Amino acid sequence: MTDFSIIDKLKRSKILDLLQEGKRIDGRALDEHRTLDVVTGVVPHANGSARVRLGDTEVVAGVKIQPDRPFPDTGDRGIFICTAEILPLAHPSAETGPPQPPVIELARVVDRGIRESGMIDLSQCVLEENKSVIGIFSDNVVTDHDGNLFDTCSYASVAAIMTSKMPKWEMKDDKPVLVEGEEVDTPITTIPVSVTMGRIGEFILADPNIDEWACLDARITITTNSDGNIVALQKGGKDGFTYEQIVKCSEISISSGAKIREIIKKAVGETQ
Amino acid sequence: MRNFKDKKQYVIPGDVITTSPLRLRENVTLDGKRIIATSIGLTNIYDDSVRVIPLSAVYLPKIDDIVIGKIKSIFGNSWFADINSCYQGMLLGQDVFGRGSSPTMSDMKSRLDIGDLICAKIANFDRSREPLISIADHNLGKIDSGELVKISPPKIPRLIGKHGSMIQTIESSTDTSITIGQNGLVVVSGSESNGLLKAIEAIQMVEEQAHLADLTDKVKKMLETNGD
Amino acid sequence: MVINLGGRKSDMVLLDENGIRCDGRKVNETRKVTIKAGVLKNASGSAYIEFGGNKILAGVFGPRDVHPKHMSNPDTGILRVRYHMEPFSVGERKNPAPSRREIEISKVIKEALEPAVMLEKFPRTAVDVFLEILQADGGTRCAALDAASVALADAGIPMRDLVCACASGKAGDALILDVNNEEDQAGQADMPIGYMPNLGKITLLQLDGVLTPDEFNKCIELGVEGCKKVYEIQKNALREKYFSKGD
Repeated sequence: MTDFSIIDKLKRSKILDLLQEGKRIDGRALDEHRTLDVVTGVVPHANGSARVRLGDTEVVAGVKIQPDRPFPDTGDRGIFICTAEILPLAHPSAETGPPQPPVIELARVVDRGIRESGMIDLSQCVLEENKSVIGIFSDNVVTDHDGNLFDTCSYASVAAIMTSKMPKWEMKDDKPVLVEGEEVDTPITTIPVSVTMGRIGEFILADPNIDEWACLDARITITTNSDGNIVALQKGGKDGFTYEQIVKCSEISISSGAKIREIIKKAVGETQ
Repeated sequence: MRNFKDKKQYVIPGDVITTSPLRLRENVTLDGKRIIATSIGLTNIYDDSVRVIPLSAVYLPKIDDIVIGKIKSIFGNSWFADINSCYQGMLLGQDVFGRGSSPTMSDMKSRLDIGDLICAKIANFDRSREPLISIADHNLGKIDSGELVKISPPKIPRLIGKHGSMIQTIESSTDTSITIGQNGLVVVSGSESNGLLKAIEAIQMVEEQAHLADLTDKVKKMLETNGD
Repeated sequence: MVINLGGRKSDMVLLDENGIRCDGRKVNETRKVTIKAGVLKNASGSAYIEFGGNKILAGVFGPRDVHPKHMSNPDTGILRVRYHMEPFSVGERKNPAPSRREIEISKVIKEALEPAVMLEKFPRTAVDVFLEILQADGGTRCAALDAASVALADAGIPMRDLVCACASGKAGDALILDVNNEEDQAGQADMPIGYMPNLGKITLLQLDGVLTPDEFNKCIELGVEGCKKVYEIQKNALREKYFSKGD
């Protein structure tokens, strides 16, 4: 479901021919992302929100923050859950109904990158230990699909979380009660940025569009944090990578990640 | 028939075009005495009839139309092609291998595989079945080179122009060869990449400005300016 | 299922002594409506509407193959509509699974559009309309129907008319146009109306609340006036996309 259209063979050979000259079908450098446009605050009813366009792929993310019960083994921490859905209007091949494995993978990869980076300080999201904590849901909906949903969802969620405000609750009679009119910034420790790359033959392409995606031998998503450390990754696709290729991908993820982090910071700063 | 009584008007569905008793042609319907547009487009009012030239429409196959298709699947002895319509085009194995032949899947795939582009003719179509397409004629068959461009199907006549004037202008000034499908799919091929880009730009200009008059002149002007 | 749309306490003043409503509008005034046609790359037709605080995307595909096949009709194309709320569109996070409310609204919107679309030329196919509620603020079904009708025209689906929609109702003992979320929660009546303006036909009509026969007649008149205002905005959205380029 994230592998979509049947690409016509003329386009496929054009993509492959251009790569031999080190070029891409839309004129980008191999390690270059498409234009990234981030608008925050698009859904005022949510506690945080963003609409992100990466080339022609578009995602809307909304963050909802509400009291919840902690996971049994982590009673001293709040809850963070990230979901993703490809809306049926995003692409003619998208379907309604229960999510297919590729969409579940998408949601989990986006979730893992944010979770493992420790982006949100969940220890500050406890109302009463083992009993009541703050739950943070980041829901991503894909509204237009032109490839690389991993990064687009990830940037949308990160921007939505960065701009989110956390309401305040107090425990009364064992129940959380909302304190009207009081809210704080969600506690952020770092800005995770995912960079998805594909391999076609010996070439590594950052942020493949939907046509390039159809030609990939393998792909990898690497998430880095603000310190430039790698916090999560996911290899996918039918083929593999050599050690040298993986190292190259990690280098791209760090250098591209730093640039993208600045774009997101700037967009978030402008609306705050 | 060719004499316009009125200036062309821009209409959207539901707009009342006239209450005169005219014969209804394409994209209009009758409500009492009122003739109503059913598509976004431009009205053409003739002496005795009225129609709307749509700016957005779905391609419906017509027998003998030339279309461009992309092979989507192979089932038994048939290929199924995406012809940018609400129906898939069905190409029978016998159209390629001859009557009474029973090609294997690998025979089929070696001739036309999934993702291949073809130029085909609508051989047969009625409301009850998938349109039958054929590549058994000269100038038809697999397309080996070029780039696929998609425009709105009702704008194809504008791309062709009066007596082919528009398409000839584009081809000759960009040194390209352009295959037009009535279904809105167009393949542009040429050895020189600048010309190719220019031709694609011209086609996109037709797509965007099909509602305007003097389009051929505008495209000519664009083609004459150097892109740098 | 009750969806909490962030409704406030019911003792709020819905209409003050000067006849001004809780959001500053007069009784016969709609909220601000903006519509843009052709906002999605992949859909064959699309529209984005902001109707007050409602933010809704509509996308249309087709006519195309029907799956499962037994749903198809050999005599005509069929229309399918899905109205769907994003988890973050309402006050409390909504469970992503479709609710009974969403299924019912999908059905009434479909039936509001069916008299307008002409699918006889496309037997055995389906036209799919997907309505995604990014933010709900009272009156989503009307706003979604407005966007759906623009998206269908944008997709080149033949139509006898556009369908425009707006609610009327009663709050603070006055008849009001375009019921907002607070008025829906705490008011006396909410009556969404869908209307084909050129053919003069009402194709969506629901009512929650109590109206006298006289109020009912006036309410329909008021609602239809609102629909006509929205219709102008729908037309402009299509004109902007189709007739404004290159001049």
